[in-house]
Amino acid sequence: MTQSDDTSKVDRRGFLRGLGLSAAAAPAAALGLAAAQPAAAAETTTGQGSGYQETEHVRRAYETARF
Amino acid sequence: MSDTANATATDEDVLRARFWGLLAALLAAPPSAQVLGMLSTIESDDSDIGQALAALAAAARSTTPAAAEDEFTTLFIGLSRGELVPFGSYYQTGFLHEKPLAALRADLAALGIEVEEGVSEPEDHIAILAEIMQALIDGSLGAPLSLPEQRQFFAAHIEPWAARFFTDLENCAAAGLYRPVGRLGRLFLEVEAQAFAMLD
Repeated sequence: MTQSDDTSKVDRRGFLRGLGLSAAAAPAAALGLAAAQPAAAAETTTGQGSGYQETEHVRRAYETARF
Repeated sequence: MSDTANATATDEDVLRARFWGLLAALLAAPPSAQVLGMLSTIESDDSDIGQALAALAAAARSTTPAAAEDEFTTLFIGLSRGELVPFGSYYQTGFLHEKPLAALRADLAALGIEVEEGVSEPEDHIAILAEIMQALIDGSLGAPLSLPEQRQFFAAHIEPWAARFFTDLENCAAAGLYRPVGRLGRLFLEVEAQAFAMLD
């Protein structure tokens, strides 16, 4: 789009590296897998009408009528 | 996750997506023993985020699933309401279901994203927004958005209020395990905002 795109991408990548984000990657990935399975602890708080109890609750609706 | 997304997302964006996913998982439901065990083993560096992750690991080691569930209920659910109300509309207007939620729903409809049936929380719950950010980055709900499109969503629906929520969580007297979660969220929002600013 602009001629500075490549430079800014490099700057951005450099910025994002070394922030300590990577330390969270492994547990986050594992947590994602764990959260997709029914967690016993998650089932007991449903009495208050708080239905959002686990991840994977959002989905992309595919528009079959698009064409 | 689609193969296309895996092929195109950079390492940094994979990390961003996972970080959003971590926040989503922590804020959507109380952690199981398995999750607490995983959090306990986080090894981090001495960066700001690394220190927050170390604090989270320490907090995970010093709590139990039952205590974490009690804390989650106190903070986010309560008898009538929790200590905190983690919804964008509430933070921006003082009420649930106001214009910010309507604007979010319009954008989600345009993106073809909807919450599963059975989810009773409005879509502007911080955990739902974090899960959506993860999906917009890693393409787990279809094609990932470009960085400018991600920035647009972030700037419209998360940036105006989420830092205040995470700061409140970090400072909430009733919070133990969730204090470092608040700090992590606040720090990560700053990282995202700064990284998006570099797109200009």
